[in-house]
Amino acid sequence: MIRKAVFGAHPTLAAQRRAAFLRGMRIIAPGTVATAVWGLVTGVAMVKTGLTQAEALGMTLLVYAGSAQLAALPLIAAGAPVWVVLATALVVNLRFVIFSATLQPYFQRLSFGRRVLLGYLTTDLGVAVFVSRYGDCKPEERGSTEQVWVFLGMACANWLAWQPMSVAGIFLAAWVPGHWGLEFTAVLALMAIMLPMLGSKPAAAGAATAAVVAVLAAGFPLKLGLVVAVLCGMVVAMSFDFMLDRRRA
Amino acid sequence: MSGMSSTEVWLTIVGLTLVTVVTRGAFLLIGERINLPERVQHALRYAPACALAALVAPELLMQDGQVFLSFENFKLAAAVVAGVVMLTTRNVLFTMAVGMLLFTLLRLA
Repeated sequence: MIRKAVFGAHPTLAAQRRAAFLRGMRIIAPGTVATAVWGLVTGVAMVKTGLTQAEALGMTLLVYAGSAQLAALPLIAAGAPVWVVLATALVVNLRFVIFSATLQPYFQRLSFGRRVLLGYLTTDLGVAVFVSRYGDCKPEERGSTEQVWVFLGMACANWLAWQPMSVAGIFLAAWVPGHWGLEFTAVLALMAIMLPMLGSKPAAAGAATAAVVAVLAAGFPLKLGLVVAVLCGMVVAMSFDFMLDRRRA
Repeated sequence: MSGMSSTEVWLTIVGLTLVTVVTRGAFLLIGERINLPERVQHALRYAPACALAALVAPELLMQDGQVFLSFENFKLAAAVVAGVVMLTTRNVLFTMAVGMLLFTLLRLA
């Protein structure tokens, strides 16, 4: 029943979709360990900052954006105006606007509802893994059934890793000490996913630039440093591309 | 103790949800109405790697808002070793395990 509702009634198509969905889940599996730990840490942080359990549950189930939530928490605790909290979260999330443009050529032909769903479920990890796998595919191959369902499988695995652990964090906040350094697992995972993506000169130069700018701009208001770093990295990567193209020509 | 009233907190949560939907949806919501030039699409492929670098670098290279380059920076030391492990084994889970173990040992030593 559920299987039919999710993957459709056509047996061959449904089998293809299901296979791609499960492949997506498998591809992202190592990273979801970090997602789970990060979810736990965020759950604990929400309660420790002073949100009630109901508020924390509402936040994690609706907002579903770890870095934006963690940026918002100290502001909520300090009683900052609502618009300041929202503006900060917006800036922290601006990198997703760039990611949505990265994904747009792949998913532009899906229905509006599906695009909203895939957008909502987009994560740093998911985009990174998806692009390392399908970034170099030919334009006419973009948006295949395989790609859509692999992405959905990755997104669902990530959601399933995040939510239960975040809820656990909310209820176990009193017993989880803040000094285990657990959040470092997420940093290690993001680094591990990033390293194999730096095989080309433009990518390596772009990432190095983004890293340096992110450190230099760490004190920018509203956490603007993050998106500035991403943009600088992309510009450098593009310039490298351009130079390499010209040298070849 | 939260500095906001309950109403304000819920208003913030609803607002943050909209922020998630709008930023993550952004170009996807426009759908077929635009076709990004091939050169732009190519540049956009570098976005995830740049974003990961921008998220990771301050965590490894800074402490309390200051640049912290030293052997005493246990996160950086553990991450360098974990990075080498990743490049040789290509195993994300193993890399995380080695990094976490080393970080914990250094911290407790």
